[in-house]
Amino acid sequence: MTTKRDAFALDPGKDEASRRLLAKVVRTAFPHKTFPDAVYQRSADAVLAAASGTPAQKLGFAAALHELAQSGFGGLNDEAAALAHLKSIENTPFFAFTRATALVALYDDPEVWALLGYEGPSFDKGGYINRGFNDLDWLPEVRIEEYEAGK
Amino acid sequence: MKKIANDEAAVVIIGSGAGGGTLAYELTAAGIPCVVLEAGPFLKSEDYHNNEWEAFKQMAWLDARTTSGSWRVAKDFPGLPAWIVKAVGGSTTHWSGATPRFKDYEFKTKTTYGDVPGASLLDWPITLADLEPYYDRAEIAMGSTHRHGRPALPANNNYKVFANGAERVGYKLYATGPYATNAEPYDGRPASIQDGFNFQGDKNKSKWSTLVREIPRALETGLLDLRPDSHVVRITHGADGKADAVLYVDKEGNLHRQAARVVCVAGNSIESARLLLLSDSNRFPKGLANSSDQVGRNYMRHMTGSVYARFDKPVRMFRGETMAGIIADEAGNDPARGFVGGYYMETLSLGPSFLASFVEPGAWGPDFTEIMEAYANTAGMWIVGEDMPQATNRITLSDTARDQWGLAAANVHFDDHANDVAMRDYAYDHAQKLYDAVGAVASHRTPPYPSTHNLGTCRMSERPEDGVCDKWGRAHDVSNLFISDGSVMTTGGAANPTLTIVALAIRQADHLAAKLKAGEL
Ligand SMILES: Cc1cc2nc3c(=O)[nH]c(=O)nc-3n(C[C@H](O)[C@H](O)[C@H](O)COP(=O)(O)OP(=O)(O)OC[C@H]3O[C@@H](n4cnc5c(N)ncnc54)[C@H](O)[C@@H]3O)c2cc1C
Repeated sequence: MTTKRDAFALDPGKDEASRRLLAKVVRTAFPHKTFPDAVYQRSADAVLAAASGTPAQKLGFAAALHELAQSGFGGLNDEAAALAHLKSIENTPFFAFTRATALVALYDDPEVWALLGYEGPSFDKGGYINRGFNDLDWLPEVRIEEYEAGK
Repeated sequence: MKKIANDEAAVVIIGSGAGGGTLAYELTAAGIPCVVLEAGPFLKSEDYHNNEWEAFKQMAWLDARTTSGSWRVAKDFPGLPAWIVKAVGGSTTHWSGATPRFKDYEFKTKTTYGDVPGASLLDWPITLADLEPYYDRAEIAMGSTHRHGRPALPANNNYKVFANGAERVGYKLYATGPYATNAEPYDGRPASIQDGFNFQGDKNKSKWSTLVREIPRALETGLLDLRPDSHVVRITHGADGKADAVLYVDKEGNLHRQAARVVCVAGNSIESARLLLLSDSNRFPKGLANSSDQVGRNYMRHMTGSVYARFDKPVRMFRGETMAGIIADEAGNDPARGFVGGYYMETLSLGPSFLASFVEPGAWGPDFTEIMEAYANTAGMWIVGEDMPQATNRITLSDTARDQWGLAAANVHFDDHANDVAMRDYAYDHAQKLYDAVGAVASHRTPPYPSTHNLGTCRMSERPEDGVCDKWGRAHDVSNLFISDGSVMTTGGAANPTLTIVALAIRQADHLAAKLKAGEL
């Protein structure tokens, strides 16, 4: 199901085109080549969920998203052009809210952790003490005691 | 647990963190019953989350606060001037564990530095020699590594980068501590399993906190009446001007009164000052114990910053103890560097969730994602040094913002002093040079986080007009009111403050116990 470019989505969270448009905003703002679309979509959905407060908030967010759709941002295939467009709306409440909310959701996502090489919680696995807490081998071993002459 | 009647004039301690928790243990161990009123819940190690945001939301002090001034935190985190914990154990649950001592001259910076324009420097009314025996007791209580026979923690990956860099730039005073986390079992608690979660509370209990040591031991004496979810909103006084009770709000918003013989305030600098300001009366129109107008002033937060460096090989800084790495070569006073006072460099690691929010607040786009993309190859350090006390850096009551009880929220005003800025620039530069020496591809200067060190708002002074309390932490204006946390610090030193807060609390407890037993309080 697609919505026409200039249709005003009252509830963008339930509108596929709006969801995808916002996911594109998030990918453009936080571009990682190796990240699949799904993580950006989850992050965009978190923004949409957070934007559903008072009618005034909903309206403001939906209106900004509508303007973004009308501006043709969704069709910008060139990364630099898409980035430049976001730069031009950087100081709007819509972008500030989207950036801040998406950032937290994106980097708190276990799939993203794995992509970045972060292994996360370890207590249940006995910590990292037997799982590489000191496995760095491209530098020499170092003193851990205090400098004798300095005492 | 001991039950002390609300109308029994008791020794009342407000807050259960480094200062309050220590005082409660030392006093009950000396046979003195105490009531501890703690605004936060009684969470245990098993309740902690190994997830940065969940842990933060679970335990951080998130009651309304506001900010002003030119410090960067006011722009990036206007409602969150400080990262402080609201729970039994206070911020010692989230602290990491670095425990350097103050240096001799750091108790007399006015004498040592001379006049620094704009700074309200003052010598402490005590010296290092006064505190040394209590530093020993504090290090033994907290199990600081490298001290009193406690072995060093092993080098983790982040430390290997840090210490190799230190060696190559010519630093000598690097080590994995002193750090108050067990390298081997000690004091009934296990050795660290290097699980990488410190700032979220240590599920393994290897890290010292008043939650795992002082509070349970105080409860074991049978003399502690611990009341969590009890937020003190006013200290009252009698016609004689002495504190006679504290009023507090429970979880449901009901008000209670606890009669008091002695009141000890240990709410961490912002809340301690706020509570005194909220306790104004006809006799103390500017707030309790505030005839000097010094309550809330000289707020210090340490000169801080971080540097994150990326390499072309893996580091995995997140594996292991967060801050078990300290360099002390820059910690002395050497004005030739262009500033007075010194700073430490300490290893630091954040997970992707916090790194994204704090590495360069507000940033986005490819330059930002380049930093995140390099996460696994990143090493990090914190710089922490003495900041200048300034009379205008100050906690006040907000005219407009209110907390959940309808009480005026604290406003935290802070401007960096030129000396703070000069020290930060120098420290950034030297941190980046250190990482360059071990082959960093690039490094980033991260601005200060919301304050984890909050000091000085009720400072100790020889003369009543210069501060709020005397060398024992006793309010100059109110003879049975004591300040028992980091707000008593006359100046901040370069060292992370908690060892000093604990040492001061032990010293104060000895003094209080003697006075109480002699019937002088
Ligand atoms: C992430 C992090 C890392 C840190 N790392 C280090 C480190 O490595 N080394 C170091 O030295 N320090 C470190 N610190 C700082 C350290 O935690 C504090 O210096 C120390 O805990 C302060 O002790 P305190 O007693 O003043 O306050 P806290 O420990 O914060 O305790 C204050 C308690 O009082 C309660 N309270 C406040 N107001 C009221 C009220 N009105 N009524 C009732 N209760 C109230 C609060 O809920 C809190 O539980 C760190 C802090 C953080 C957050």
